[in-house]
Amino acid sequence: MIVIENLYKTYNEERADAYPALKGINLQIEKGSTVILSGVSGSGKSTLLSLIGGLDKPSSGKIMVEERLISKLPDLHASAYRSQTVGMVFQHFNLIESLSVEENIIAALIPLRLPLNKMQKMTQESMELANISHKASQQVNALSGGEKQRCAIARALVNRPNIILCDEPTANLDKANTLKFIEILKTLRQLGKTIVIATHDPIFQALDFIDQTYFIENGSIRSE
Amino acid sequence: MKNKILRYQAFVYFLTLTLWKQKVKHTAAVFISILIIFLLSAVLFVSSSLKQTLLHTVKQQGDFTVTRLKAGYATQTPSSWIEQIEQIEGVTALTTRVHGRYFYQPKGKSFLVVGIDFFDEQNSQLLEALIGKMALKSFLSQESMVVGQGVKNFLTAHFYEDTFSFKTPSGAFKEVHIAKQLDESTNLIANDMVIMPIALAREIFGFDENEVSDITFNVPNEAEWDTIITKLHLLFYDVRILDKREIQKGYENMFNYKGGVFLILYLVTLLTFMLILYQRYAMVYSSERKEIGTLRAVGWSIKEILLYKFYENVIIVVVSFTVGVLLAYGYVFLANAPFLKAIFLGNANLSYTVGFTPVLELGLLGSLFLLYAIPFLVAVLIPAWKIAVTPPKEAMQ
Amino acid sequence: MNEILFNNQVIVYLLSEALLYALLLIAFVFTLTLLKSWNFSHFTQAQFRLENRSYLVMSIVLFTLMLKMLLLPYFVYTIDSLSDLVPGAMCAAGVIKANGYGTMLLTLKIVLLFLSGLWMGINQLDMKTTTYRYLRAKSWFFFFLFVGLSVEMAWDILYFTQIQTTAPVQCCSVIFGQVGGANGLPFGLDTFKLMVLFYLLFALLFLSVLTYNALLSVLVAPLFLFIAYYAVVYVFGTYIYELPTHKCPFCMLQDHYHYVGYLVWGFLLFGLFFVLKGAMFSYVFKEKSEHLNRVALGLLSIFVLLCSAYVLIYYLKNGVLL
Repeated sequence: MIVIENLYKTYNEERADAYPALKGINLQIEKGSTVILSGVSGSGKSTLLSLIGGLDKPSSGKIMVEERLISKLPDLHASAYRSQTVGMVFQHFNLIESLSVEENIIAALIPLRLPLNKMQKMTQESMELANISHKASQQVNALSGGEKQRCAIARALVNRPNIILCDEPTANLDKANTLKFIEILKTLRQLGKTIVIATHDPIFQALDFIDQTYFIENGSIRSE
Repeated sequence: MKNKILRYQAFVYFLTLTLWKQKVKHTAAVFISILIIFLLSAVLFVSSSLKQTLLHTVKQQGDFTVTRLKAGYATQTPSSWIEQIEQIEGVTALTTRVHGRYFYQPKGKSFLVVGIDFFDEQNSQLLEALIGKMALKSFLSQESMVVGQGVKNFLTAHFYEDTFSFKTPSGAFKEVHIAKQLDESTNLIANDMVIMPIALAREIFGFDENEVSDITFNVPNEAEWDTIITKLHLLFYDVRILDKREIQKGYENMFNYKGGVFLILYLVTLLTFMLILYQRYAMVYSSERKEIGTLRAVGWSIKEILLYKFYENVIIVVVSFTVGVLLAYGYVFLANAPFLKAIFLGNANLSYTVGFTPVLELGLLGSLFLLYAIPFLVAVLIPAWKIAVTPPKEAMQ
Repeated sequence: MNEILFNNQVIVYLLSEALLYALLLIAFVFTLTLLKSWNFSHFTQAQFRLENRSYLVMSIVLFTLMLKMLLLPYFVYTIDSLSDLVPGAMCAAGVIKANGYGTMLLTLKIVLLFLSGLWMGINQLDMKTTTYRYLRAKSWFFFFLFVGLSVEMAWDILYFTQIQTTAPVQCCSVIFGQVGGANGLPFGLDTFKLMVLFYLLFALLFLSVLTYNALLSVLVAPLFLFIAYYAVVYVFGTYIYELPTHKCPFCMLQDHYHYVGYLVWGFLLFGLFFVLKGAMFSYVFKEKSEHLNRVALGLLSIFVLLCSAYVLIYYLKNGVLL
């Protein structure tokens, strides 16, 4: 379960151009549920997602994940949280262009310090789940948008995280690939993962397996 | 222990993989590194090789060399001194030498003429080292000499094929047969040397029967050396005493000096290189920032990124060092260091070729490695930290 | 003096030390800001910057410690190579005594390495906590460590610039030898009593580490170091050199003795370091570490076995002791 209490995030807070991205966010996400964070560009949904994922630190407030306070962790612990608990899919995929699909995925397992052969096995399983194993040795910069997305998904799943965070996952996909992505989400939901998707794509409004949608406007939240 | 190895296996795999795939990124740094190591190693190899050769030669010389001084300058030494020196306890292998510079006036070049008693034990060892076993009988049946390669080349160029006529102080000419040429390997010390019987050398330089250039002897017990020096000063007021330690120290200092000068010049280059490195790695191309940001986002800690960057640089250092040293080894010991050897050996009186004896001391390599690795790693530490601590979200934008 | 400063190894050594000192100076400046402004409960950008800076301090200390561990044997190698330039010196022992700074400098270097290692231990513990619990403690520790490092840098320069190449020094047989019947051993001990004390102290240290008795370990360790030093120089060394009058801590570092000195001193110093680290963890931070203890006992045991082996082998080969 993810519990967020009175969360604030201000960028450039010591400067004249300080910008409050989040103002007093309170929400709860049940374990195993699929939640949408909806809002226009600049509403704060990506910021909220990155705070839940431990990629950034809030200006004040609490984020508890599985009863553990993650909003103020030293880096060593924050990164352990990211590598063990969270899998993230980014809007622009954020893959390492010079590496192949398989190598990009293994990179996410390195912090876990498992034996290499075990990592390779987990990578293979993850690629099969995301339907990208046929492109395992292909360099990432030669993939199509949909294939890159599937590679990013495989990477997000390889460490078998409990929480999957997706930031605008369909922004760079065509209709066909978007539908494929949604199918993968359904599978993940069936596996009991907690899924949080930050998106302004209206296609997600029509899905029947979404448990909750939060609308974020100017850094504040309203539920519907 | 096995678990620990397994845990780092994947890290090492990933490190080498990315280094290989992104090798172009590091080309400039590696290239400059190899160049710097190459130059530095070549200088140190030449220096230590020369030093070793010279010190080896010094070892074979007598422990002490005694000369007479007149008005502060070395002059002919009376051979009567031998009887007095012989009396000193602990002195062995006493021998006399006649030597000097013979100038070939038409060209202004000179030969180092060394006259020795060919039957003397001390000298025969030295001689054997230079020219090998030789038929002394045929050598002594006529006025003969043994010449260094530089001398031989010079004489041949001036049409002296089998003999050379020395002009003596009395005005008369002395024709001497060229019996043998010294081996090329002796060029360092004997390139412009002419070795002949002592009587002949006396004649050429106009020395009296009872005069020599200097007297050499050995004192096996090193603890006695200072006492011997004192006794010699008490015996003769006008004596200059040179002991082997001083010569060795002189060579050490000379090579340290020359090597030191190079190292100090190297420091300047090094500082510039460090600045270049710092700026190069601090620039942090946006693609690299993004990559590091991505790794952080998928769970790499700052510590892991720092280790990753550190070992990346260590591999670059080790590879550059190895290649640079190997190239320098080939340049010095296989190609005989063209251009560089002139700096150490200076303008030769007579031109010559010299071969360097391969010398590979662990200490020398260790010094080289520290001299290169530490500045390199120091220069890249802070840029590596900066890149590691950039927030992942910011880095990925 | 000039000849010394032109020696290649001296140039390499001083340059390396100077560069590392420059890094440590940066770490020191950052440590001051950490001590001044650190407040983990703050969520400000300034606090996050300080957390990042603590990583730089950690990286610098780790990096310089690793290199200083390489530079210590290199320091010994450097002064050994100076023995050709300093009259009377046959090895590092003579050169170290060339002026008043040598012995103090070498001792300080070893102490600083120990302390730096302990700092790393505290850092390790600190990183495991979720609130940087020991940050202030380790920052203050580094503060004082830096003072020591500054003294080391100053003594490095003073030592090398004040080595005379004209005044003769004593060689090790005079420095350590029992000249004219004088006894070089402390407290009027003789060889037999020294050996008994050596093995007894080792046994006591072994037991105190085994039973996690931190206080006793900390008390016995320096005593053991003291006695072990004399044991190695005055007894075990003579079996390494196979000469009863050759007493020198440095000659065994040379190639004709197969560099065994590095092993002897290395195992001793590393072993004692891990004893102190384990004691610190257990007594100060209440973290018992079986792994540390095993490493410490292992290293010290190898040290004792190595030294004893030389005596035993000599006895087996020759049927007598020196």
